[in-house]
Amino acid sequence: MASSPSEQTGLTPVKIVVAGGFGVGKTTFVGAISEIEPLRSEAIITEASAGIDDLFDDGTKTETTVAMDFGRISLKHQLVLYLFGTPGQDRFHFMWNELARGAIGAVVLVDTRRIEAGFAAIDFFEKRDTPFVVAINTFHGRKLHTIDEVRNALQIGPQIPIVYCDARVRVDVQRVLVTLVEHALNLATTGAAVN
Amino acid sequence: MSATDTPEPRVGGRIVRPYTMTGGRSGTDTPVIALEALVAATPEGMRRRHQFKWESAEIVQRSRRETAVIELAALLEVPVGVIRVLAGDLRAQGAVTITDPPPELGADAERQVYTDLLHKVLDGIKSL
Repeated sequence: MASSPSEQTGLTPVKIVVAGGFGVGKTTFVGAISEIEPLRSEAIITEASAGIDDLFDDGTKTETTVAMDFGRISLKHQLVLYLFGTPGQDRFHFMWNELARGAIGAVVLVDTRRIEAGFAAIDFFEKRDTPFVVAINTFHGRKLHTIDEVRNALQIGPQIPIVYCDARVRVDVQRVLVTLVEHALNLATTGAAVN
Repeated sequence: MSATDTPEPRVGGRIVRPYTMTGGRSGTDTPVIALEALVAATPEGMRRRHQFKWESAEIVQRSRRETAVIELAALLEVPVGVIRVLAGDLRAQGAVTITDPPPELGADAERQVYTDLLHKVLDGIKSL
């Protein structure tokens, strides 16, 4: 800690989103590399403004609390990287816009036993032109499906990286993040990504 | 930290209705401050922190080290919107500065500036 009253170190915040279905291991993934215990923040959403229950709009607005888990990693070059886990429930997809805004990219974590849980995230990031990679959470090292099988099931092209990872293992998570940033860099350099 | 089990995120309780602290304002009338925007106390803010109400004083105190809006929300156990309103007020009073994340590619970022940033992020992650 500095002894001065305020320590303004000129840090730049950057963000990566970790998406995927409920229970796929997003918070585990974040916690494996975060320098703090993953924290949970709440946003209070007025559902009427989110366009969810227009059919039932009787003039009253329902407040819903959406929880987001996140972690923090201090990097060289005066950077601080925040990892955000998306809310798992489908009905909170409108929150993803806020999370994706300004993100370097996204990791879509999938469990091959419930591969369809990854569809919504992939659709979202494709439409938004957010760079993303798919990480197959192997849960105890079991590779139940090949990369090609997963690519076919997810119906994504060969340009999207797909990697295995054990979301509990720090070096695995680090490798996924490296893959994502390299992919984002590749897209940014070639001009393919325009958010 | 250990990565062998699923961490249980800390969930806080509170006893004050959240928007009581902001005078009923939800922050929707001001430009949105990013979740990862960094709040940093100014020397002026540190000097005057005891004049602020509890939550605002706490924001100033916690942001002696630059701290993201979402982190402040978790630490103070209030919704993100409350921090946005209070931190915006504190900024208007010169008590904190708020550093926004770099703009997205294609918004107003120069491609070269953006790829330079990504190179730094990549190097940073590889060096962990």
